[in-house]
Amino acid sequence: MPGKIINNSFDALVIGGGIAGGEAALNIANNGFKVLIIEKDLSIGGKMILLSKVFPTLDCSACITTPKVSEISRHPGITIFTGSEVKNIAKIKENSFEAEVVRNPRYVNVDDCTGCQLCEEACPVLVPDQYQYNLVGRKAAFIPHSIASPRAAAIDIENCTLCGACEKVCPAKCIDFTQETETYHLKIKTVVLATGFNLFDPLKIPRYGFGQFKNVITSMQMERQLAPTRPFSTILRPGDGKVPDKIAYVLCTGSRDATIGNPICSQICCMYSIKQAQLLMGALPMADVTIYYINIRSFGKGFEEFYDQAKGMGVNFIKGKIGKISETDKGNLILRYEDINENIVKETEHDMVVLSVGVLPNPENSSFFPNEQLKLDPFNFVYQTDCLASPALTSIHGVFVAGTASGPMDIPDSILSAGAASSEAISYLTQKK
Amino acid sequence: MEVEKGKTFKYLREKKGVNQEVKDNLKHFTKIKKVILDALKEKDLTVEELTQQLKMPKHEVVYYLMSLVKYGFVKTGVIDDMDEYFNYKISK
Repeated sequence: MPGKIINNSFDALVIGGGIAGGEAALNIANNGFKVLIIEKDLSIGGKMILLSKVFPTLDCSACITTPKVSEISRHPGITIFTGSEVKNIAKIKENSFEAEVVRNPRYVNVDDCTGCQLCEEACPVLVPDQYQYNLVGRKAAFIPHSIASPRAAAIDIENCTLCGACEKVCPAKCIDFTQETETYHLKIKTVVLATGFNLFDPLKIPRYGFGQFKNVITSMQMERQLAPTRPFSTILRPGDGKVPDKIAYVLCTGSRDATIGNPICSQICCMYSIKQAQLLMGALPMADVTIYYINIRSFGKGFEEFYDQAKGMGVNFIKGKIGKISETDKGNLILRYEDINENIVKETEHDMVVLSVGVLPNPENSSFFPNEQLKLDPFNFVYQTDCLASPALTSIHGVFVAGTASGPMDIPDSILSAGAASSEAISYLTQKK
Repeated sequence: MEVEKGKTFKYLREKKGVNQEVKDNLKHFTKIKKVILDALKEKDLTVEELTQQLKMPKHEVVYYLMSLVKYGFVKTGVIDDMDEYFNYKISK
């Protein structure tokens, strides 16, 4: 650090290559502007590309995301830097920013890689696969996931033994350990913040036993188990490989809870849990699925009908607040909870517990602008200066916000928000031409 | 500096070295992979049976076994009569 320094210019810088950033970039580029997407991960597509299905339509998530991602990748007006980070953005003058972007080495020439996975086969190392939320391992030479874009290998240099096995078998000779960090100094006219959200870490609620009891998993781990590109052949308990029979969902894990610093509703947990419950009943027809909730917030179009559909399928809904989860000798889990309707404390045994984790702000947003003040709201999401009339405006003129960077929202709302941000950015660019 | 294509790993190995933790992790996985595959060579086994043979925590057996399934060393076999546990077999 720093290796090569490269200067370049773009009309718009989109930070984040998830569904909101991708949609915003496409809209801006389709209007003839030159766009750069900076994605810190090795693939664009964000969290949506890793989901099983979407609610309330139960459409395949990957089937929606992959054509979009492909369109973004092939667009002549869009340049994508994966594995890259924005270090800082300075406003030089009106309608002009300068950004410093660091592109970390992938140790693979993406243009030459055919995605044959021979390097992955040859690599002797195994480390937890972050794209399967650590349910299985992956190699140090790996393709992030089967629908990654770009579908090219990467070397996890922190875990690589530098044995050279990958390089020896690569038919395209695209592995290159001489790659170094590149620093880009970019002139840009507008910025779209589409940095998404972080998921709540349930280790912060020790009484739920996540990490300690192996059959307590997060909703994202269950999402991976339900996805077509799943880690196991079917739904299994990570603690002992058993096919679970009684599955419990604990809603509001890390949401609406001032004790862990997040008093607001995450807006998506009720519905994604109901979706997963329906998918589980399809995958495991004999299973009992129980959802423990404080309130079911089915506020969107078709959401209440989706909730009714789950009840009709036999999903149990218990208005109850979980006090503690403990484990039996067989790895089953005992949920001690307050039955809010009956006003008594009860205990029930389940095979597996899924914690429906909430949405947290991405703390990186405030670090991008050392010389300007990007205002945040009381919950540390990007503040929308005119939430009702122009929801994409931020406290910095020329910087717009898209998707969950401004607060918890579901996929259709993220796409709508990206539409608003791109319209504002296009209008800004057109006026300043 | 000119580095021969196809042997660039040597350049980085000389430049930065490999830390002990990474080497230890490789040794650990190689050993576990061998004991799991050796056990499955004898007969098809469930996670429970593998755990008893290998004297490893069940969740670790699941993690390594599923990783071996992912990379094609092991195949999922049949489920037991209670529809609870699968057995696993070596891929031929």
